[in-house]
Amino acid sequence: MRKPRTPVIGLEIHVQMKTESKLFCACSTDYIGAVPNTNVCPVCLGLPGALPVVNRKAIEYAVRTALALGARIGLSTRFHRKNYFYPDLPKAYQISQYDVPLAEGGRLPVGEEEKRKWIPITRLHLEEDAGKLVHSARDGRLGNSEYSLVDYNRGGVPLTEIVTEPELSTPSEARDFVSRLRQLVRFLGVSDGDMEKGSLRVDANVSLTDPQGGLGTKVEIKNMNSLRSLERALEFEIARQELCLERGEPIRQETRHWDDGKGLTRGTRGKEEAHDYRYFPDPDLPPLVLSEAFVEEQRRLLPELPWDLKERFILQLGLSSEDASTLTELPGIARYFEGCVREGASPNRAANWIRTEVMRFLNEKKTSIENFPLSPEKLSRLLARIDKGQLSTTLAKTVFERMVTENLDEDEALEKAGAIAGKVSGDNLREMVKKVLEKEGPTVEEIKSGRDSKGKKRSFLCGLVMRESKGQADPAEVAKVLEDILDR
Amino acid sequence: MNAAEMAKAVREAKISAVEIAEGAIGRIRLIDSDVRALLTPLFERALEKAEEIDRKIELKQDPGPLAGVPVIVKDNLCMRGQVTTCGSRMLENWRPPYDASVVRFLEEAGAVILGKANMDEFAMGSSTENSAFFPTANPWDLERVPGGSSGGSAAAVACGYVPLALGSDTGGSIRQPAAFCGVYGLKPTYGLVSRFGLVAFASSLDQVGPFARSVEDLALAMNVLSKPDPADATSSWRTRPDYAAFLGREHLKGMKVGLVSEFEDYPVQSEITEALARVESILREAGAEFVPVSLPTTIEAGLPCYYILAPAEASSNLARYDGVRYGLSAEAESLMDLYMKTRGLGFGPEVKRRILTGTYVLSSGYYDAYYLVAQKARIRISREFRSAFEGADMILMPTTPTLPFRKGEHQDDPIQMYLSDVFTLPVNLAGLPGLSLNAGYSKSGLPVGVQFVGPKWGEGTLLAAAEAVERVLGKPTCAFGGEKA
Repeated sequence: MRKPRTPVIGLEIHVQMKTESKLFCACSTDYIGAVPNTNVCPVCLGLPGALPVVNRKAIEYAVRTALALGARIGLSTRFHRKNYFYPDLPKAYQISQYDVPLAEGGRLPVGEEEKRKWIPITRLHLEEDAGKLVHSARDGRLGNSEYSLVDYNRGGVPLTEIVTEPELSTPSEARDFVSRLRQLVRFLGVSDGDMEKGSLRVDANVSLTDPQGGLGTKVEIKNMNSLRSLERALEFEIARQELCLERGEPIRQETRHWDDGKGLTRGTRGKEEAHDYRYFPDPDLPPLVLSEAFVEEQRRLLPELPWDLKERFILQLGLSSEDASTLTELPGIARYFEGCVREGASPNRAANWIRTEVMRFLNEKKTSIENFPLSPEKLSRLLARIDKGQLSTTLAKTVFERMVTENLDEDEALEKAGAIAGKVSGDNLREMVKKVLEKEGPTVEEIKSGRDSKGKKRSFLCGLVMRESKGQADPAEVAKVLEDILDR
Repeated sequence: MNAAEMAKAVREAKISAVEIAEGAIGRIRLIDSDVRALLTPLFERALEKAEEIDRKIELKQDPGPLAGVPVIVKDNLCMRGQVTTCGSRMLENWRPPYDASVVRFLEEAGAVILGKANMDEFAMGSSTENSAFFPTANPWDLERVPGGSSGGSAAAVACGYVPLALGSDTGGSIRQPAAFCGVYGLKPTYGLVSRFGLVAFASSLDQVGPFARSVEDLALAMNVLSKPDPADATSSWRTRPDYAAFLGREHLKGMKVGLVSEFEDYPVQSEITEALARVESILREAGAEFVPVSLPTTIEAGLPCYYILAPAEASSNLARYDGVRYGLSAEAESLMDLYMKTRGLGFGPEVKRRILTGTYVLSSGYYDAYYLVAQKARIRISREFRSAFEGADMILMPTTPTLPFRKGEHQDDPIQMYLSDVFTLPVNLAGLPGLSLNAGYSKSGLPVGVQFVGPKWGEGTLLAAAEAVERVLGKPTCAFGGEKA
């Protein structure tokens, strides 16, 4: 019986480690925006006579990543040289790992709870990044360029390469995998995990099974620099391969580049060169021997993993799965949320506020939670006022807005918002309510005749009173007064 | 004067560093047009450095154990801002922006570097004829080669320009020229001396070491050079002994010296065999005991093993010379064209031969048959030496199978050239210390060297034994009429 062709997807992901210095020298890894060729030294420029010395921090970060993935750490591994000529590779070899990687095995979950699927990891190893070529052509392409420039600032930045087993079967699973991995490295604090900036790079291998379920020809796709383009590239490539097979055309084993603008993958013209990297152990670096104690220390330093945290938010704090997902996307947000809860905020209200008000602010200002002006303590205090009925939600948002945009402290913001809660209360409030009700005769009639079963009309009246009080009334009191008068 | 005496005189203000430097420069100007040991003289810089030393003396500061001692360093050691060619067109105008650690150690110890010595291109060769610029002559017979690849350094010490010079030894490049030029040459245990700033030939075999005309100076140099270096991941962190403390022994009683049984049948020129016998009897006289040791794999597999591993590493180490960043860069139409032309023009035939060999043995399909087999042989050779040293404190063996050969003699026959390293390269494969010392002169007046090989970190034993020989045979003399330096 013919089975439908199923996509078989494997990923090869390069994650830049956020160490201060490069993998084999003391140069800064902070190359974004740096003047070209300023973060360089004889070692990362591969000058004659210079020698590499491995950065301990990079090993720590890679080991932590491996441990978080549940991989087995190789206690005695080594570095190999991968030899090839290219102008961005100053030694004409890349120091990488080959036969004995830093870690093997491990897995990462994709999909939501009920449909969770564990994708096995093949291996994880450390290697150095290459420099960057800048082509002179306006489109930045090599083909149309008169000349190319090389910037070695990125050369030697530590990369952790993670290779999965080809067990992903849909573009969205692949996307989910990368998004989980990104979340993980951010939680571990080992990488920015930013695909747009290139601190997380994904290559994918795609093939379609043949009608008997056997493996098809594998195509490697590159140049996807967002989760969205990864998904689109895979979708395109799967469709392309299906079409090829339907037409009876063979699928070439090749590397194809994703063109995000045109929305298609493009094969490299001409014949592919078969690379012989002539790997051999780097004689400049002694074997990398890690002690059990070192590995245990790294294990001890692992933070709570994002999926564990999410589960805890749901089970212990009663958050919805959606809230918990959003709040555990970034470690900073999760910490902020936990800070609010610790300060006494109700988990659901804090979650709600962070997802809406806080994140809106961060998006508008294009900043991160680390630069958010309001501490969890201050936000909690504000939220507590809502809980205590001192402030309506609407007014609280105004106060919040003033606190974050004008950098006011809470009292100032309350004052400026004219919102010292309860200012309009008691008799004043009663008068105000009466005045409003006089103008809203028909609504009052409706309520009294019992047609307001869902309480919508009452809420509407409450709102009018609040507006009349310019938010300076306590909504709970308004409701109470309103009830009182209407029921009489 | 040897280096120790010079430093003492300078520190005691009996002679100035400038006077010493001027004397050395004078001698170089007198002789070096014939010998051509120096590739790049650094006389002005040297005189300035010498003045600094003298100022320190005036200020009663200690310039260090090599105060005012003139030295010459092989041109594969980086010196900040100074041309470092490695004997190659590829780096003809290259000025490193940093100092090799050993260069820094020398200058911190008060040494005055007079110049950069000629060498076989990228340290590949045994005659210094592979220098891209000019060959160096053997000071004892200008028609003959000084050995290589550190031929310039050896010749400089033999000519009496300087009492100390630095070379590098990957398969014999210090010891073979030391033997050919009639001076001491010590290749330290792998990891004892920093390789940072030594332009790599074969990283797992390269080691920097000194040439000298007295054992005392070798010890002095080792005290300066053998420091742990955080910039070299293969540098050992073990505590270094005071090498001078190994000297001054009255006898060698209790010392066991190994003689390699398998070497007895190996064709070695008779005058070298005689020199070995001479040294053996001196050591016996001093109280050493002789024991047979066996190194069957070493003699059989050493040479092919070396000529697989060293080119393999070299092919990778020299790949960086691509015309993109520094050094020679040919006019080219495309990237591939740039690579081909630059490397075609920049490298000499021996370097190309080794890059091709090395690329071949690392290629997929050949790796297992060559590189891997050679790695296994290397491990066996190391084990063989280790068990030999269970019964012996050091081994006495030839440095070379022949006396210095004539210029051009082996230029068309790489195998014959390679064979001149048959006794030295196993020592690099096993990472051991090896010391070549002069043991007299042939009837034709050529120096004859022999080699002491020790277990790892066994430099002290080698120095003690060499001193015992020096007491009887005297210190090596300078070519061209004794010491005027």
